[in-house]
Amino acid sequence: MSPPDRDAVTAATAFLRQVREGLDAGVELPEAVVRSTAALPNGARTALRRLDGRYTEDEWGFDEDFAHAVEPLFDFLFDLWWRVETIGVQNVPGHGRALLAANHAGILPWDATMMSIAMLREHPLPRYPRFLVLDWAFQLPWVSSAIRKLGGVVASPYNALRLLDDDQLVAVFPEGIKGTGKPWSERYRLQRFGRGGFVELALRTGAPIVPVAIVGSEEIYPTVGSSATVARLLRTPYFPLTPTFPWLGPLGVIPLPSKWRIEFCAPIPTAHHGPEAADDRRLVLELSELVRETIQERLLHNLVERGGAFV
Amino acid sequence: MPGRRILITGVGSYIGSALARRLESDPGVEYVVGLDMRSPAATLERTSFIEADLRDPVTATLIPQESVDTVVHNQIVRRPGPGMSTRTMHDINVIGTLQLLAACERAPTISTIVIRGSAGIYGSEPQAPQFFREELARLYPLRTRFQRDVGEIENLFETYARRHSDVTCTMLRYQPAIGPVLDTQVTRYLAPPLAPTYLGFDPRLQVVHEEDGLGALLAAVRNPVRGAVNVASPGTIGLTRMIRLAGRVPLPLAGPLFGRATSALTRVGMPDLSADFMRLLRYGRAVDTTRLTNEVGFTPQYTTSTAVEEFARRGAPSAPSISAKARS
Repeated sequence: MSPPDRDAVTAATAFLRQVREGLDAGVELPEAVVRSTAALPNGARTALRRLDGRYTEDEWGFDEDFAHAVEPLFDFLFDLWWRVETIGVQNVPGHGRALLAANHAGILPWDATMMSIAMLREHPLPRYPRFLVLDWAFQLPWVSSAIRKLGGVVASPYNALRLLDDDQLVAVFPEGIKGTGKPWSERYRLQRFGRGGFVELALRTGAPIVPVAIVGSEEIYPTVGSSATVARLLRTPYFPLTPTFPWLGPLGVIPLPSKWRIEFCAPIPTAHHGPEAADDRRLVLELSELVRETIQERLLHNLVERGGAFV
Repeated sequence: MPGRRILITGVGSYIGSALARRLESDPGVEYVVGLDMRSPAATLERTSFIEADLRDPVTATLIPQESVDTVVHNQIVRRPGPGMSTRTMHDINVIGTLQLLAACERAPTISTIVIRGSAGIYGSEPQAPQFFREELARLYPLRTRFQRDVGEIENLFETYARRHSDVTCTMLRYQPAIGPVLDTQVTRYLAPPLAPTYLGFDPRLQVVHEEDGLGALLAAVRNPVRGAVNVASPGTIGLTRMIRLAGRVPLPLAGPLFGRATSALTRVGMPDLSADFMRLLRYGRAVDTTRLTNEVGFTPQYTTSTAVEEFARRGAPSAPSISAKARS
């Protein structure tokens, strides 16, 4: 047995011995367990603290402990699986409200989590972005609670406004549902940006818009087709078919290891237009188109820079 | 200036009695009269008590005689009590409110009506905004019987408010209450050692501490505003965290089995969960309380988190063991 293993066994034995002594002394089991925790290593103590409910969540349900606990997985994805390179992360304001607008494909917000990791690791003033997720994901077990604990909220203008008014960094995917169901042949071709709702939000709150081009995220689930029949049966917005999903069951959800580049572009200020400008259709569409063109241009540029998708 | 004359329906409940007692000690209040089928939970000194059923049309003739200027409607049943059918609950809620408002039509002295309603009107939806503001009440269809009751009560009240522009009509939308004294769905849910949850779901919940609930009602009587006002202790709490803070253990059940499993568990002493409460356990709900703070001028003492912590510290009754109940 290697030394760390032996340590674990010693700790476990000490813990169990204390629990038994507590029980012998006439203490109830839960009480005895709590009294014996001092014998445990740090990680186990954190786990027990969570079992008592002694952890914090903010009013949006963001759970820093949880985000911290899954960081190793995301670090692995960031460094080894997707080998993410980030460019221009200093373009994101270090404090105050701001809106990140990025391209998007697929239901699971991997791109949002990689953006968060980039912000945490490479930004001089690290901060967790809150991201807006397609509302459909909140019907799913596990996915819904994991997303909220990581700082995701339902894509609703009410949520975005409240977050921006609260001076948060908010990530949106303006392609919306059209981006979610994008087929493989359409990858990196930005879909229409709806009616420019995200620009309205930025104007109303005076938040600068930071266009973000994410290369790599649109290759992790190569959608080769979709089944309208299954989608109707499951009451989902669409049902993607990829070379692995749904044929391999849960394994089909494992994303492909494409190579990623995330570029944060120069922020587009909106505060000087004033909040009333949110009703100016022409300005909203112009800004929306400007953001779209910026992302599209940087996508193509970074695609060339990156080279092969999987090497 | 003569003091205020206030009528409280549902004065037999904890909140109703507590409100009457607080108003009694207010020198600005001249007269308090309570109306209920059961007598008040607390001893009241200068509150008159009318033992009457609000659904009974005769009651409607009693109210104008009291010549009150303020009516606090506190008789809305949030969950059917033991031996109460959902039909009775519907009658008390909707027909009771209808009769009360009909009586108010014939009482020209009335200048303020405050209804202690429910945030249940917003429902619990996966795609809902994380914080409901007052104007978002009818974003989704009303799915449960209680929601439809609340919807009907709000409709009746809105119609009344339109007809009587001189009367200030306040609809308070309460989140589920928690506290050491109250017996609510949440406190019942947290009483047994195991708390059933939906497998894979950990929604954000929001409660109102009983003292804040009472404080908000009192503040709305003193400073009524027109329209709906959300009442909750600010912030939210994850369901799992709430269960663990209360010292209980979550019992995850798969979604399709949840209804059947929980109704089977009632036989071993687990609480009966209403359709609304089940949806709440799956998708949660939180409301925005800006209007309560800025317009009614009431700042809750507790946040949802501290309300649950306080409940866990002194309120949570020691859990009766399941096996003991099953044996008896």
